[in-house]
Amino acid sequence: MGSCAMTPNQTAEHDQAVEDPTETTDELVSDDLLVEEVSIDGMCGVY
Amino acid sequence: MAVPAAPPAVFDAGLGWRKHPQIALRDESFGALAYHFGNRRLTFLKSRPLVELVASLERYESAQQAIDDLVPPHEHERYRRALARLAASEVIDVR
Repeated sequence: MGSCAMTPNQTAEHDQAVEDPTETTDELVSDDLLVEEVSIDGMCGVY
Repeated sequence: MAVPAAPPAVFDAGLGWRKHPQIALRDESFGALAYHFGNRRLTFLKSRPLVELVASLERYESAQQAIDDLVPPHEHERYRRALARLAASEVIDVR
């Protein structure tokens, strides 16, 4: 697949909130849920 | 390709902000999709109030005034952080 792989990615900030619940407050989780980024670089045929 | 972590947000709510001119918003059931024609990033705005806030920023002298007017008081800090995140992603910029 190489560069054509469809690989939307979540941000590191979002991943941290999901993977480390011991340091995550409800507010932080909610804050993350307001904004999420994905990259469409590498997707073929979407332009 | 991984999305690099956003740089530390330089967001001053006392300044006037606007939706970035290269951003197109498309309404969705969860809020809106923001597409940046420059950096080709997609950003999900996952609440209707946040979409309204971003779309309305230009009508206010400062982002804080927009927050004060459009967001319930107990949500102010949460939405300030969301705007800081959007500033780092170039979804909004200083006028």
